[in-house]
Amino acid sequence: MRLFRDSGILMLRSLRESMRQPAIEIGNLFIPLFFFAVTVGAISSISEQAFGVSNFTGFQLPVAMLQAIAGSAVAGAGIVNDIQKGYFDKLALTPTPRPALVLGRMLADAVRAVVLVGVIIAVGILTGAGMESGPLGALLLLVIAAAFSLSYTGFAVSLALKTGSNQAVQLSFLLFFPLLFLAPAFAPKEVFSGWLEFLATINPVTYILEGSRSLVLNGWEPDRLLKAFAAIAGIAAVTISMTVWAYRTRKV
Amino acid sequence: MYAIQAEQLARTFKPDIHAVAGIDLAIEPGKVFGFLGQNGSGKTTTVRMLTTLLRPTGGWARVAGFDVTSNGGAVRQRIGVALQEAGLDEVQTGRELLTLHAQLFGMGRRQARERAEELLAIVDLTEAADRRVAGYSGGMQRRLDLAAALVHHPEILFLDEPTTGLDPISREAIWRYVADLNRQGVTVFLTTQYLEEADRLAGEVAIMDAGTIVAQGSPEELKASIGTDVVTVRPAGHDGVALKAAETLRRLEGSPEVRVVGDSVVVYIPEGARAIAPIVLLLTESGIEITDITLARPTLDDVFLRKTGHHIEATPTGAHA
Ligand SMILES: Nc1ncnc2c1ncn2[C@@H]1O[C@H](COP(=O)(O)OP(=O)(O)OP(=O)(O)O)[C@@H](O)[C@H]1O
Ligand SMILES: [Mg+2]
Repeated sequence: MRLFRDSGILMLRSLRESMRQPAIEIGNLFIPLFFFAVTVGAISSISEQAFGVSNFTGFQLPVAMLQAIAGSAVAGAGIVNDIQKGYFDKLALTPTPRPALVLGRMLADAVRAVVLVGVIIAVGILTGAGMESGPLGALLLLVIAAAFSLSYTGFAVSLALKTGSNQAVQLSFLLFFPLLFLAPAFAPKEVFSGWLEFLATINPVTYILEGSRSLVLNGWEPDRLLKAFAAIAGIAAVTISMTVWAYRTRKV
Repeated sequence: MYAIQAEQLARTFKPDIHAVAGIDLAIEPGKVFGFLGQNGSGKTTTVRMLTTLLRPTGGWARVAGFDVTSNGGAVRQRIGVALQEAGLDEVQTGRELLTLHAQLFGMGRRQARERAEELLAIVDLTEAADRRVAGYSGGMQRRLDLAAALVHHPEILFLDEPTTGLDPISREAIWRYVADLNRQGVTVFLTTQYLEEADRLAGEVAIMDAGTIVAQGSPEELKASIGTDVVTVRPAGHDGVALKAAETLRRLEGSPEVRVVGDSVVVYIPEGARAIAPIVLLLTESGIEITDITLARPTLDDVFLRKTGHHIEATPTGAHA
């Protein structure tokens, strides 16, 4: 009980922080939309004949989503800042359950991710991406956004707790970009060549991307959705274990 | 039961830094305890262990009756802590920060708001309450940090150098709050580099040097323990003259304790008023001219000097290693 209540309180604090730094959120929205516009503009006229994707706008929409989610994952950086300012100690001196200290910031990331993804879906629909699965599908995309955000941001959070250093947290962004671009971001996996196809197959982001894409392009495909959630659960299992380990072995 | 009790409490950092090298504490409830020491003597490390933020590597400590290692949660419920660097979130306003803390200490939203309001008034921040902390002066941030430490009416308050780097007016204000709180029964553990602060606030003082407590007692006891007056002589002339003067003064009747401190010589001698004439005479005979000579009752500074061999070097800017 206490955990949920306090995480909520700390989440609100974190959201208040982003409301006061609107430029950062605008950047988080602008960058994925910019890439979205540029790739769609450059490739959509040839995508049909090149690799058989007729609705390239819809095909790209989940890529913009994932970029926005990664961009809004700032819990790790926030925790580093709190640690360096000494505010983390101040919070740790309250009787709040320890996990609330990190969960609050992670939940705030999820909320930001859902808002940004909501805007991106709206822009997508307005520019002709479509939504084959209908409004419920769009809602499920928001759920995927929240779940992926929570699992992904845990990675930076664990590094933040362990090292208290911004450099370490920057690493997590370095990790995301190869994962995104080793997934079938710009063309379907079927056209990938040998080694790339292999990497894409073992890359969990591939399944999150394909699951999200199926909702936009094809409607309801339970097996793809199941794989997407399994991939998210897999990432979460890793990052949660890392976070718990980081907290336990935190150099105090 | 003691408010704070410790035995052989120690903390070693890698590779081989004995920040706190085994200290014993027994502080009774309702006291103001001054923990005096210069930069790097181990004050903060001690506070962080007593407040459960840092694990001891040796010995044990109990705060409010609970072991700091095995029962940290119970300790945290009963203590308020203002650390050396006021740990604040600069993006929040003062009011938001205090409300948040009150909520984390279990109060409902409404009660938390009321408590925040009360505390803002106590530390004279009502007017600045809705401005962001980033715009607060150093003194205001310290006051806010102190208020945040008080949200849950703690029994024991830990203040790590609460006035370092503050101007005299802000310092007075902090002293006033601390004295008020103590009058209401709060036990205060206060670290400081300022002798005046310890003298003024603390009923009992421990002097910390290089990780160990070298003297402990009430300021009066400590001063009386010197048992002499203090005559400080500044000889005129080149480097090394102080050493020569000290050599000379050790030949005074009763062979008093003599120390060289910078370009002065300090003589610990009973009935100092009577010793002035012999001191002047002896130095003049040895061909040493005197620029300045003063006689004083012992201060905490003298106690500090006697116990550690050096003056306390406070860095008034609050800069520290
Ligand atoms: N995390 C740490 N790792 C390594 N050494 C440390 C650490 N924290 C403190 N020390 C060392 O322990 C010693 C005591 O430090 P401490 O901060 O307790 O002193 P202090 O009395 O609070 O000094 P100041 O007046 O400057 O605040 C110092 O030599 C310091 O460099
Ligand atoms: Mg210190």
